[in-house]
Amino acid sequence: MEMNFTKLNYYEMLDVKPDVAFFEIRHAYNAALQMYQADSLVSYSFFSQSERKEILTLLEKAYLTLNNEKERQDYDNDLIRLGILTEAAKKSPSKMPVSIFDINRDQCKTGGLKNTDAEFRARIAANERIEKILAKQEIRGGDLKVIRNELAVPLEKIAQKTKVRIDYLRSIEEENIEALPALVFLKGFIKSYLKCLCIEPLDEIYSRYINCLAGLGKKS
Amino acid sequence: MAHIWPIGGGKGGSGKSFLTSALGRLMAGSGKRTLLIDLDLGAANLHTLVDIPYPAKSLSDFVKKKFPLLENVVLETPVPNLFLISGANDTLDIANLPYEQKIKTLRAIAKLGYECILLDLGAGSSFNTMDFFLISQNGIFIATPEPTSIENIHRLIRSIYFRRIRQCFTVMEFKELEGEVVNVFGDGSFNKPECMMQMVKKNHPEIGLKLAGDFTGYRFKLILNQLRKQDDAALGGQICRLIEKHLGLKVEFAGNIAFDDHVHDAICQRVSFLDRYPYTRTACDVRELSNHIISSAGDQLQINYS
Ligand SMILES: Nc1ncnc2c1ncn2[C@@H]1O[C@H](COP(=O)(O)OP(=O)(O)OP(=O)(O)O)[C@@H](O)[C@H]1O
Ligand SMILES: [Mg+2]
Repeated sequence: MEMNFTKLNYYEMLDVKPDVAFFEIRHAYNAALQMYQADSLVSYSFFSQSERKEILTLLEKAYLTLNNEKERQDYDNDLIRLGILTEAAKKSPSKMPVSIFDINRDQCKTGGLKNTDAEFRARIAANERIEKILAKQEIRGGDLKVIRNELAVPLEKIAQKTKVRIDYLRSIEEENIEALPALVFLKGFIKSYLKCLCIEPLDEIYSRYINCLAGLGKKS
Repeated sequence: MAHIWPIGGGKGGSGKSFLTSALGRLMAGSGKRTLLIDLDLGAANLHTLVDIPYPAKSLSDFVKKKFPLLENVVLETPVPNLFLISGANDTLDIANLPYEQKIKTLRAIAKLGYECILLDLGAGSSFNTMDFFLISQNGIFIATPEPTSIENIHRLIRSIYFRRIRQCFTVMEFKELEGEVVNVFGDGSFNKPECMMQMVKKNHPEIGLKLAGDFTGYRFKLILNQLRKQDDAALGGQICRLIEKHLGLKVEFAGNIAFDDHVHDAICQRVSFLDRYPYTRTACDVRELSNHIISSAGDQLQINYS
């Protein structure tokens, strides 16, 4: 399904098979340029300027790498090591029509939070300071920060796990109303934050926090 | 069961009405009971193209309950087997068609007893136009090889893709999704269906799976009309490849239709272009397209009520 161009490998970018002959690579590059160049009718208005620039840079990189025997060899070895390309697919040209790319493959998981939810819950239950905060009727940004610090979770990890931008997370803790997004978006971000730390009951804590924000003048 | 072909195009003047009437005549000519529906309300002219200068009834008579059944507003055309629901004299604009009436019309269209139904959707991408486009898996996009038209077709395809995703969620759920998309993919991404789809798959895997199934089921087609000699015949195929590669949406390039001044002449004389100029390149293109469209129609009718 929908693909992110930047995550394709060089062969996929140029729409060629890994056993492609060298002369075909130039051909494929030219064909790609026809589609992606700024004056191309094909992709007219399809990309933003910066997207187009990024694609063209990648295509050039792909072309220069695959068109150089030594560099292509190194690149192939990398792909083989990553399990994206098999030795066989490279060496026996077009024997089998099977797809050699797993297009749906996940990105490499870069170490998320190691702590399990159960562990968080246990630590929250055992932590007096957190218990006290959760018992309050008013929950402030600073309170959330205290909880996070008690659990020893850096903000970066929350950003990594929830995919919420770190400056938003920071603004949530700092109650920096100007920097926060519109309420419809904010709602999801706060809940992700709470969920990530297993702060429960989620909806309840959320309302207490958002009510405080509203008191500070956050409007939808 | 009826096959429905919605014909849409981002831009006015790309040839939707011309193509609808030409395809309709060909289908009727091959013995199939064929119905044309002019949904380009407010700018209807299909009736003129099938030689009914003064349509006695129109779609709005059904919408406004002057007639109980959609069948009641069907008009016979001078062409055997060819029928029309006109959009002429319509005081209502399709963009403003109220929700219930849209659903009512969608249901009624799906139930009509014709073999072939062609919808002339008019330009633009209002929600209603998109919902009518999504009534079937056989939607046809038509554009001309000009940047303005390509721009609109890209936008329309993205909007329709987006609209289908939107149909699966409540307002609240969708807002939440939008928020997350912006957050993960950055500011300009909230109207990018490809980003939205990734988010749906992550947060609502079941709906993601269903949608992915829908999108593979679609047999959308692209036709480029009014190609002049100097235009690149490969353009349509490349556009479809681009859409598949970057949106993950399969749109098949169905073919080019050559530009021919005789189209204008035939319309002015109010005669069928295909009958009057059957041996032109353009007429051949249209006939070939018609065969292809009929033979590759999905066998299952699909309706999505939003
Ligand atoms: N293949 C062709 N060659 C030459 N002229 C054409 C061709 N197709 C369409 N035209 C011309 O383009 C004009 C617009 O066509 P048509 O009315 O079918 O467009 P449309 O997409 O329905 O526009 P609207 O959105 O305004 O309803 C017609 O008047 C016709 O003269
Ligand atoms: Mg028209």
